[in-house]
Amino acid sequence: MRARLINRDDIVKLVRILMREYEVVAPFCSRGSDTVFDVVTEENIDKIQLHVRNPIYPPKRFVLPHVEQMFEFQMSEVGVSAIPTYNEKPRALFGIRSCDIAGIKHLDNFFLGREFVDPYYLRQRRNLFLVNVVCTEIGTDVGEYCFCLCADTGPAARDGFDLQLMDLGDVWMVVAGTERGSRYLDLEFMARGDDSHIKLRREILSRVRHQFFDKQTSWFSAAMRLITRLEVSESTWEKIGRRCLECGGCSFVCPTCSCFTVDDRRVSAGKAIRMRLWDSCALGGFTRMAGGFNPRKAVHDRRNRRFFHKLAYQFVLRDGSIGCVGCGRCAVVCHGAIGMPSVVEIIRRQELGSQD
Amino acid sequence: MQQILTTCPFCGVGCGIYLEAEVDRVLGAYPSVTHPANRGRICLRGWHVHELCITPARLRKPLLRKNGQLEEVEWEEAIRFVSERLESIRSRYGPAALAFLAGPRCTNEDAYILQKVARVVFGTNNVDHGYGAYTNTALEVLLRSLKVPASPAVIEDVGEADLLFIDQVDLSRQNPTVGGWVIRARESGTKVVAVSYRRDRITLQADIQLYPQPGTALWLYGAIAKVLWDRGFIDLEFLQKYCINADEVLRSVQQYDLLRAAEICDVPPQLIEEAATAYGKAKSALILCSTGGEARDPLDLHAVVNLALMRGHLGRKGAGLLVLTEHCNLQGVCDMGVLPGYLPGYTSVFEDEAMDRFQTLWGVRPPKKAGVTATDVFAGANSSGIRACWLMRFDPLILAGFSRAFEALRRMELLVVQEAFLSPIGKYAHVVFPLPAFGEEDGTYTSTERRVQRVRPVVFTSSVMPGWQLLTELAKRFGHRWAYSKPADVMEEIRQAVPFYSGIGYESLEHSFGRQWPCTQDRPGGTTRLFEDGLRERQFVMTPIKVPSIPAHPGPEYPFRLVFGQSLYFWHRDTYVNNSQVLLREHRVLLLDYPDGFVEINPTDAERLNIRDGRAIKISSPLQSVVTTARVTDEVRPGTVHVPFFVREVAEALWINGAEEIGTLSKPVFVKVEPCAE
Amino acid sequence: MDWNIYTPRPAIIDRVVDEIPGVKTFYWHFEDPQEEERFRKFLPGQFAQISIYGIGEFPASLPPSPTERELFFTIRKVGTCTAALHELGPGDRFGVRGPYGNGFRMDEYAGRNLVFVAGGIGLIPLRSCIVYALHKRDQYKKIQVFYGARTPKDLIFLNDLVGWQQSGLLECYVTVDRATEGWKGNVGLVTSLFRLPGVEVAVEHSTAFVCGPPVMFRFAIRDLLAMGYHERHIVSTLERYMKCGVGKCGHCCIGVAYVCTDGPVFTYEQIKELGEDI
Repeated sequence: MRARLINRDDIVKLVRILMREYEVVAPFCSRGSDTVFDVVTEENIDKIQLHVRNPIYPPKRFVLPHVEQMFEFQMSEVGVSAIPTYNEKPRALFGIRSCDIAGIKHLDNFFLGREFVDPYYLRQRRNLFLVNVVCTEIGTDVGEYCFCLCADTGPAARDGFDLQLMDLGDVWMVVAGTERGSRYLDLEFMARGDDSHIKLRREILSRVRHQFFDKQTSWFSAAMRLITRLEVSESTWEKIGRRCLECGGCSFVCPTCSCFTVDDRRVSAGKAIRMRLWDSCALGGFTRMAGGFNPRKAVHDRRNRRFFHKLAYQFVLRDGSIGCVGCGRCAVVCHGAIGMPSVVEIIRRQELGSQD
Repeated sequence: MQQILTTCPFCGVGCGIYLEAEVDRVLGAYPSVTHPANRGRICLRGWHVHELCITPARLRKPLLRKNGQLEEVEWEEAIRFVSERLESIRSRYGPAALAFLAGPRCTNEDAYILQKVARVVFGTNNVDHGYGAYTNTALEVLLRSLKVPASPAVIEDVGEADLLFIDQVDLSRQNPTVGGWVIRARESGTKVVAVSYRRDRITLQADIQLYPQPGTALWLYGAIAKVLWDRGFIDLEFLQKYCINADEVLRSVQQYDLLRAAEICDVPPQLIEEAATAYGKAKSALILCSTGGEARDPLDLHAVVNLALMRGHLGRKGAGLLVLTEHCNLQGVCDMGVLPGYLPGYTSVFEDEAMDRFQTLWGVRPPKKAGVTATDVFAGANSSGIRACWLMRFDPLILAGFSRAFEALRRMELLVVQEAFLSPIGKYAHVVFPLPAFGEEDGTYTSTERRVQRVRPVVFTSSVMPGWQLLTELAKRFGHRWAYSKPADVMEEIRQAVPFYSGIGYESLEHSFGRQWPCTQDRPGGTTRLFEDGLRERQFVMTPIKVPSIPAHPGPEYPFRLVFGQSLYFWHRDTYVNNSQVLLREHRVLLLDYPDGFVEINPTDAERLNIRDGRAIKISSPLQSVVTTARVTDEVRPGTVHVPFFVREVAEALWINGAEEIGTLSKPVFVKVEPCAE
Repeated sequence: MDWNIYTPRPAIIDRVVDEIPGVKTFYWHFEDPQEEERFRKFLPGQFAQISIYGIGEFPASLPPSPTERELFFTIRKVGTCTAALHELGPGDRFGVRGPYGNGFRMDEYAGRNLVFVAGGIGLIPLRSCIVYALHKRDQYKKIQVFYGARTPKDLIFLNDLVGWQQSGLLECYVTVDRATEGWKGNVGLVTSLFRLPGVEVAVEHSTAFVCGPPVMFRFAIRDLLAMGYHERHIVSTLERYMKCGVGKCGHCCIGVAYVCTDGPVFTYEQIKELGEDI
């Protein structure tokens, strides 16, 4: 592991250096106690938040945008051309949490690691520089819905980042995860550390992990076993499905959800665009075919689907990791309080009768 | 890239949402996690709201009808045409021939200027918002009984209550975010009682579910009140001290009979008793109802208000009455005086003293005569004499209540439409002015919990004149020079016109999540719950409700009760929905299975009558009949036929003149139903 | 080089033939001959994504056999995109990308009897396979085609059916649920053909291909299993709402399979395991 130390005040310098090459996106406070990922400018650079609640709008949008133009079609009497519209803006995500790093790894595997490589994802991904910040403060970094410990994605990512920052109290530790990242370790304000810093890092992480147990937990294993073997009863799914108001929010905020729909729009007489938009398996129209047949007409069939895809072992094999990174966002946005932790709990209680 | 907090433009909950935007493009939308109305939750519509900002279907230039076709013209040409035509119509027919109607999605600033133009420039009170047929009853009832035409409780109260009493509103469809509050409250132990004529998602999760026959609600509320009385749950002290007519109400309550009411409602008496007892016992009970997606009889609503007063829970955390609006600014357009009988701030047009105040403010005295309503214009039995009509974000053609609006529209010598998208009304318009779409618009909305909050522009299209600006320009052509250069200037005047907005300025809206009115100089932070800091004696007015007579029944051959109402989300054929791919797809999910529309009927009825799902069904009232498609579903109770508003054929066939009263929950149409050979 | 997996390649319609009401066959070629050459290596049972520029994209199975000269699609009008395609005529352009999906494992069936059971437009995805088998006739043993439609007016690929019946290379049985005037053939469900006098459905060393509406599918499967077919030797193609065709959009995912990349051809054994309605 290549690591250095940096003073808190010098972190802004690092951001400035990144800004030379990248559009830097970092967490900021907004109205109330809302937090958002926004572009860093000279005006707001001092307001970057390092210890803050993870923004609800997931950073996956920087590789899979909420709405993304794919093509511009130019149509005329003599022919049609389909011009792909790529976004290749170099971007650095500064302050991305470990759970979201795991989410991007999951998406990498899905969009890039199969027979077909998604060209839009690829271009945005290879231009994305990830600066992970380890979650060390309970209450801010680690929110009331966080359960990365159960998903084994945090509080400190093991890989998947270019650089990783961690608050050691007096100084911050900087770890390089890639060649691209290690270039920044040679900056003049980076100092060498010693074994005491490594020890401190371990101690802090151990403390944070222990504090997690007062927080939300999500004991996946039983739910994974039951879902994999199709042993969750229909009545349990119905109970869960009844609480779904079909907003699609869980999919939209999920760092690993990647379903999209495609829509063409005519812009002018000879011009049209094709774009893709986030879609959700919670919605009735998601599987409905043009002829009228809908294999997942009932709402609980659709909910069942979400959790099957996230937790069934067959999918874990296929996708390389379970489809939940423990960020807790679905628990926040769900009207019916059937985010991942509650569903895991409902399944455990209903099917195993456990009371604790 | 920027992240801008704004307000969702769909329903009245007023969810705080962020738009992510880049120079001229909206990239996405997401909820605010700390906004008190939604706390991180938004419905499907909110998650796709950014699609509205990116649709190329946006109007960008004014359209003027030339040789029968709408053609793009310059602003000046369109404005000149409109002013000349307005002047000519006014001089020939007088100001009463002009009407100015706003939709409930106009900003406060646009709505205020629209009514000001009508009253000050043209001297007419013919101002209304298009949903008046449904909503104004509720506002009138609240104004009369509570003296405040708005919801006393706030959305957060749903999470604080011991008991929620949901009164005939499908929260999962109309206000999903509030529906979510209810599910979450129930999960943490709050008891839920629901009165509904549909087995909707929320009602199905209630602890006590009452499914009365449509048209029998008065008996049900009467019976509940009677149980409250019998068991000593009525807060007599509160009634005597704070309510007018309390004695009369208590006398009328005693005339109800639980068993008889149960029989008429077709609800087991034990269930009514259980519901009433739960309501009576709760330390903080909150009643949730709607300002009316469906028109309701005022007495129905008075009965609900009475129930709220009987427990004396008003002004208490987690208790009282939460009256929900279905459009983002329905509350606001009413507050702004887009009502034929009220000036801004609910000042009656007959109140001389208040009129003096407006004369000082406006330099012109508004006419002392109530104007015509939107219903008069579009659903009136005959012509209301309107020759020119100005429609701002309002399309009567998408409302079933105005299913015959086209007759009135054809008579118009001038129809001006202000819309962001071309909607069906465009077919009849002489002039269409583009409006800023969501994401471009600047102004304020007032939510169902009286929360005035900003709707902010994130992208700018300089070619499109905002509503208030165009109207100010129009006023100028008629010699009125108003010095508004931005929406904030309009708000400054609203503060003077509407006393309970007097503490609201754009400056103050930059903090926290808007301000809830009354927000005055004395209460600059606004008011969360109404009546929380003490009540005045005899402040409320109760309405005695006599035991109603059994409605005239056309006879046993018409055993079904037909009601019109919502289906799917509360979407109508909204211009908004039509411009979002995902929303449109979801909106059509059911419709695709029933491409010619449908009416809903319970499986037990269907089986008995040999009616099959997806097959033709004939519905007959004593006067008319219509053939449509059956959707067999246990979402509707036996003995009823439910017709979604958008199935216009049925509405047109069975909707009788005087439209808004018929086919409602209060007054169902009695029909017979039979299968129909295809 | 443009290797964008989502790029529709311009194609031109040569002629349009009305099959039955609501179903048309579009003969077409790629504008770029190289593209055409690449595409022609498709397998029976694969599908393509058709783009109507400015309207949208939809999946369509490939009814021609790669051994045939012409490319064509046979499309039923069901939604906005297919309706838009139906509006097009000779010379009009649309977009095609593909071929996608696994296709039928034609070499695996070598030396076996092939039994095709199709209902209505279910013949569209099977046609490719039938014609392919005919062109490579010596590789397969007995070939039987059982085809049913609602009425005589609903029979598609009529010329093919007649040709097959006359060829003597295969057995072809046709039926309709409801006869209309002039119909002299069989009346009854497609499964009733199995019991016609003189018909002997091949079971041993046989693979059955079943495609059609859900009800027909269930009956056909039931009968085939009763005859002694192993679930592994019954093959079908699945249809799902699909946006990308390349395993990314997520719409067609059932069980753990993506219909677009793992399918659309599945054995009945696999279909049962996927655990969703057909």
